[in-house]
Amino acid sequence: MSVLRPFKASDMFRFNNINLDIWTETYGIGFYLSYLSRWPDLCCVQEAPSGRMMGYVLGKAEGSGAEWHGHVTAITVAPEYRRLSLARKMMSLLEMVSEEIYKAFFVDLYVRCANIVAIEMYEKMEYSVYRRVREYYGNLGIGKGGKDEEDAFDMRKPLPRDVNQRSIRPNGRDIIVSAHDVS
Amino acid sequence: MSAAALERQIRPIYDALDTGSNKSAIVACNKLLKKHPKNVLIKALKALALIRSQKVEESLVLCDEVLQSKPIDDGILTAMMHVLRGLGRHNDMVTMFDEAYKQQPTNEDLGAQTFFANVRVSRWKSAHQIATRMYKQFQDERYLFWSIISAVLQAKDVSTPPNMRTILYQLAHRLITSSPTPSYVNADRFHLHLTILRDLKLYEEANKLIDSDIGKSICATNLSCNEIRRDICIQQGRIQEEAERAEQLIVEKKDRNWLEFLSVLDGAVPAAVSAGTANKSTDAGANINRVQELFTKVAEEDASKDRSAALALLELEKRARTHGLSQDRSRLLTLLKQYFEKFGDKACCFEDLKPFLELEESELAQLTSFLEAVPTSFTTVSELRRLINSYKILRYTLPLTDITEEKESARVAAYVRFYFEGLALGDGLPSSELQPADDLVLLAGNTYVSLWKLTDGDCHLLNAVYLLEFALIKSKQSFLTRLILIRLYRLLGASNAALEHYRAMQVKQVQHDTLSHLILSRASTFSLSATGDITLSTECLESTQIYLSNSQETGDFIVRAFTGEKYSQIPEFISFEDQLDNSLQRDTVKIEHLRMRLTHEPINSDLIDMELIELKFIFDRIHYDNRDFAILPNYQPKLSEGLHNQTLLFSKPEGDAWMMTFLKVYIRAFQQASDLDDTVEEKLLIGDRPKQTADFDKKLSLRDRLMQRDPEHLSSLTLDEVKFVEYAHALIDWLEPYHNHCRPPPAVVLAEAAKQTELKTGHPLKGIDIPPLNGNGHHKKSEEPPAIHEAPEVVVKYFDAAKSRFKEAQSKPSPSELLHVATLAQEAYLLLVTETLRFKNPSVVKIHKLGNLVTNFKTLRSDALSALAEISSTLIKRGESDGSSDSRHLCMDHCSSDLSSNIDHDFIVTCAKKICDSRKKVLDGVGKGIDRLRTTYA
Ligand SMILES: CC(C)(COP(=O)(O)OP(=O)(O)OC[C@H]1O[C@@H](n2cnc3c(N)ncnc32)[C@H](O)[C@@H]1OP(=O)(O)O)[C@@H](O)C(=O)NCCC(=O)NCCS
Repeated sequence: MSVLRPFKASDMFRFNNINLDIWTETYGIGFYLSYLSRWPDLCCVQEAPSGRMMGYVLGKAEGSGAEWHGHVTAITVAPEYRRLSLARKMMSLLEMVSEEIYKAFFVDLYVRCANIVAIEMYEKMEYSVYRRVREYYGNLGIGKGGKDEEDAFDMRKPLPRDVNQRSIRPNGRDIIVSAHDVS
Repeated sequence: MSAAALERQIRPIYDALDTGSNKSAIVACNKLLKKHPKNVLIKALKALALIRSQKVEESLVLCDEVLQSKPIDDGILTAMMHVLRGLGRHNDMVTMFDEAYKQQPTNEDLGAQTFFANVRVSRWKSAHQIATRMYKQFQDERYLFWSIISAVLQAKDVSTPPNMRTILYQLAHRLITSSPTPSYVNADRFHLHLTILRDLKLYEEANKLIDSDIGKSICATNLSCNEIRRDICIQQGRIQEEAERAEQLIVEKKDRNWLEFLSVLDGAVPAAVSAGTANKSTDAGANINRVQELFTKVAEEDASKDRSAALALLELEKRARTHGLSQDRSRLLTLLKQYFEKFGDKACCFEDLKPFLELEESELAQLTSFLEAVPTSFTTVSELRRLINSYKILRYTLPLTDITEEKESARVAAYVRFYFEGLALGDGLPSSELQPADDLVLLAGNTYVSLWKLTDGDCHLLNAVYLLEFALIKSKQSFLTRLILIRLYRLLGASNAALEHYRAMQVKQVQHDTLSHLILSRASTFSLSATGDITLSTECLESTQIYLSNSQETGDFIVRAFTGEKYSQIPEFISFEDQLDNSLQRDTVKIEHLRMRLTHEPINSDLIDMELIELKFIFDRIHYDNRDFAILPNYQPKLSEGLHNQTLLFSKPEGDAWMMTFLKVYIRAFQQASDLDDTVEEKLLIGDRPKQTADFDKKLSLRDRLMQRDPEHLSSLTLDEVKFVEYAHALIDWLEPYHNHCRPPPAVVLAEAAKQTELKTGHPLKGIDIPPLNGNGHHKKSEEPPAIHEAPEVVVKYFDAAKSRFKEAQSKPSPSELLHVATLAQEAYLLLVTETLRFKNPSVVKIHKLGNLVTNFKTLRSDALSALAEISSTLIKRGESDGSSDSRHLCMDHCSSDLSSNIDHDFIVTCAKKICDSRKKVLDGVGKGIDRLRTTYA
């Protein structure tokens, strides 16, 4: 049970319970404002009835031609509200808006190859690995997980407009591109 | 030289500016200016390079020259836009663009720039006019919408009188209806349209839009539009329709947005009792039954997949009770139990149920025995969570009679026991994960604090520290554990240990505004600035970077939202910018930083003048409290004060009252010590004067406002702070006439300022006529000095009283209070130094015949110095003893057997050592700092 509502600039004053978690980065205010000033309809918050923030998603629409797609830049749920289907609901909103408003061909996202929880979650939501991006998170240095820590999977889910399902390829995990090749 | 050739020569200046090589940009400009002394673009670029090298005065001279030439060239305007922004002269920017646009009314880009310049200074009326003109000229509908939202924003501006608001909304309405393309072509235009209709209460028109197919489809895909739509429906009382719509979504679309459930609930029975809704009980009863059936069905369907329907049933029953419509007294309890059975293993179960725990005694007793029966043995995370949730609810609902030392001790023992047992369930988790048993530690932390409050025994705080520190080894990323530790270490006077944890949380960006209170409230108590260790004052400066980013960046995004026509975001961005710019925490930190600065930097007129101007700006603005206190994991009984209040340093909040009290002290003190009066300040001010946003009686003068004392404000001060403030005002009142008598007249002050500027920049200060000076610059007053009075008693006795308070505080095991008394005495002395600075100059004293006054200072100073000597040496000695192994053992002896049987002895040693070392460091540092200041200002 949660309120699904638009992300507002003033939510930055209230997202500590989500952002103090190490897996969630706190960016400069310009980052949030740039998303809100372009794709406010792809940014939303889940809130408890008490008014406490539970999680949020920030997305955008980008690409040209058949690559035109919705992109999940950040999705996060505070630790105490995990496994309540919040991520699932936010993803489906983002997919719906990408499809209906932006007329996108697919939705995609990047996830650390080592983030098994997230990868499995996205797979359940019908995303699949489209390619592996070398050193996408490279600036963080190689951690315990080695290459899986710094490489990202680009995962995609086709929308109805992708009639030929070009955003799915069975051997996605083996297709490797460098971080320079992606935006 | 041809234009192209000149352009080639100017290119490198741009390159230098782009790469931040301001020095070489200046050199290049100078070279070119020799050949082209009249070239305005080069001057503008030089002004930019100068401002970026912090050469403000020099830049100003060029800037004024360029502005006088009324530039229209795009390159010059762009360069000047950056210069003026750097100087904080947004008003000049408006004028510059206004004039350029007037000369080139067909230049669309210039029109937009002029519009944005007005937007940046919130001049909505002019913005509206420009947009209107642009729409006529360029026929782009975007400009029509710019003019519309400008009118709306003007209506919303606090400075707009209420009767104007409706007129402006009506104007906006007329314009939006006149749009050739309907607003629904774009969700954000549609949003703006609905906002206007809502605020004008034009519901019929709004309904037409909302109920149209396209309107429906926009609201179904756009959360912001749907928000307004819902608002409009509720405002006009279309509650039943809204409920039906929501029900359909819940049933057919399986929508589980809590807002939809609320709509259904509102349709059945309102949340609160209001007049006029009382006599519909039969209807309401039937409604409640129907909705109950609906929710029950959904809850069964969803089972444990979604909590919405189960919670909606609770909310329904709660509302029924409020209205006296509950048909079954036992129902609430049944629902609570059912909810717990179903979702007791979700981490948020306690939080979900919190609003429904207002129970009668007998109900509470039943719930309690139900929860007490939750098994305390567990083999899965689910079972452990269930136990934790039962503990949280039980604790939350405790009656006051059950909050006793004995019972709290028993509780803490249970929490601790099951925490250690629960650790087994988290064995082998990666170090980035949190232990499932962590909340038991948080519960224990809360309980130790409660015990400390009950008994005043610091041993409970120590035990809390041992346990929480241990828990952090097991859950390295538990920021909730750190939050409690930060509070505890400050209470224990181990400020460095608190800072370590704060830093480990990696607070950044906007979080500085909401969280820096954790470490910076009353931070001057622990500051070692006087010894040259500027850790805490640096922390203050770092935390204020965000306000700079805000003023540099947010405006750009407001402009972007206009360009991208995201009208729904514009008012949000504006209020965000405002809320951050006028943050209470920002100015609280400013005061703390000032208090530290005075111990670290020489107190002289430069410091005093600069601080004075800034403090006066702060005094004139409204403050927003963005501090996040809800982040603290509060698991205290609902009848208690709560963890936040219990763990406040010195049990006193900081807030608007605290900040305003200290602000008044320092503004008054600096006003006296400074030669800047208002007329001088006006002349010397570089950027725009910030708007006066504070809410005060505009008939009052600044002095009146500074003299106002709100007795309620004193309640957020500690007793020692109250004494300090009394002393400060008495001192200031006493010396006011003498300062006024001696202060050189404005003309003399300005002449001196002009001289300094000319020495620095080679240019005279503009717009100031320097009167001929007579003699040595010391003006002689013909009138007699005011009668000399002895120092008031409050002032004379202050340091004696501080000494005895200091003795008293020595008996406390934690040195925090001791440091508080000591640093306030130090501050009082520095205030005396500031206040008497003017009279240090023997010729001032002689000319103004104030010899008798100055004798007074001598006794005051020597009293203060001897008190500070005693305080300083005692602190240093106390530091020795608090840092000794005896003290460490004493700390360790407090470790309870619950803990010592589970935590390695060496670990306790390390913790105790950390506390003792940290105490020693701060005591020794503050002691030595006081000593150093005694010598500096002997
Ligand atoms: C990843 C994250 C967003 C998931 O949020 P969430 O609200 O808990 O996810 P949901 O409840 O919607 O889960 C949807 C499904 O994903 C799977 N899933 C999610 N978390 C899982 C976990 N820890 N273990 C196993 N499966 C999991 C489950 O199949 C789940 O469905 P189920 O609960 O019905 O079995 C959240 O864990 C998070 O914020 N993590 C930190 C930030 C992060 O890693 N973001 C992703 C970066 S790309």
